[in-house]
Amino acid sequence: MQATEAVKVLLGIGESLIGRLLTYDALGMRFREVKLRRDPKCPLCGGAPSITDLSIHKEGSAACEITPGAARTEGALV
Amino acid sequence: MKSLRDLLAEARQVIPEEGPADVQRRLRSGSPVVVIDVRDPDEYRDGHIEDAPNISRGFLEFRVASAVTDPSTPVVLYCQTGLRSMLAARALKELGYQNVINLQGGYQKWVQSGLPVVRDAPMTTDQIQRYSRHFLLAQVGEKGQRKLLRSKVLLIGAGGLGSPTALYLAAAGVGTLGLMDGDVVDLTNLQRQVLHTTADVGKPKVESGTRTLKALNPDVNIIPLPMRITVDNVMDVIKDYDLVIDGSDNFETRYLVNDACYLAGKTNVHGSIFQFEGMATVFAPNQGPCYRCLYPSPPPPGLVPS
Repeated sequence: MQATEAVKVLLGIGESLIGRLLTYDALGMRFREVKLRRDPKCPLCGGAPSITDLSIHKEGSAACEITPGAARTEGALV
Repeated sequence: MKSLRDLLAEARQVIPEEGPADVQRRLRSGSPVVVIDVRDPDEYRDGHIEDAPNISRGFLEFRVASAVTDPSTPVVLYCQTGLRSMLAARALKELGYQNVINLQGGYQKWVQSGLPVVRDAPMTTDQIQRYSRHFLLAQVGEKGQRKLLRSKVLLIGAGGLGSPTALYLAAAGVGTLGLMDGDVVDLTNLQRQVLHTTADVGKPKVESGTRTLKALNPDVNIIPLPMRITVDNVMDVIKDYDLVIDGSDNFETRYLVNDACYLAGKTNVHGSIFQFEGMATVFAPNQGPCYRCLYPSPPPPGLVPS
């Protein structure tokens, strides 16, 4: 699936998974698609980003610690 | 601060321009002239003026001497539209080349004028056979195949997700595959990580991966990167690639790859898997959400198995 998406993006053909999350449940053999929206408050790609370089990934940085906002998935899924 | 327009205007005062027809006349006349294509190599491969060597703008000052031995020889520079080459021409003039000319309108105008160009060398008989099924697909065709052969994809992880992805991309003829993984093959990997074989247990994954992929398609240039991706190497590694495939197995790496790809403007084909469930999406900077739009920060260590 990742290979097909890569080829499509490289060739600029078809409809890629940009903005869509495809989930696969092998036991139930079901695919599900969830629309994803950009978060205007995203710390990286939002309007006022707090992450503008990779310094939060440096060892000992607070970024590796946990913030309570971790479970915002539901809000982001449409 | 000067604007690009100012820079170009200044350059035009010292660099004469000639249209495609005039440059063609020079070439046909037999008098000495050197035409240099200053575009990037992938643009050059798509088509260029015959006999024009390719010296990318970034290397021009370093390599021009190999193409122009006498500084009084007329030198014509061209890029795609004539802007990059105008600035390049000025740099050459400053180096002491006395007769530097810019091709007005660049390669684009050259093609529009119906003047001859040459493209990539034809595919080998083996390549034509190997990719013949791609040629039958209207959306791929020979042009798409050439594009794939020119493409560079970085695979982060040569494990459960990276293995099948790498195999399919190599089979499809993606010209350059960077294979990045710092692990060695473990017996417990083999029930799913199909790049590696029993004989590879104990060897670096990128070593067995490279061998498997080369055996599948010798056309593909495999770049083994036997290391973990870290905050210190990520930007340097991804800059060489058109696209990144995240096949990593931990949150730390996913956030790092997401952030680095966004900052470097690289599309990230994301995948993850846990037990019987998997998910996939594509993060393309500014065209859609990123991983942090879904999950702004990593989960607490120990809460979620990696």
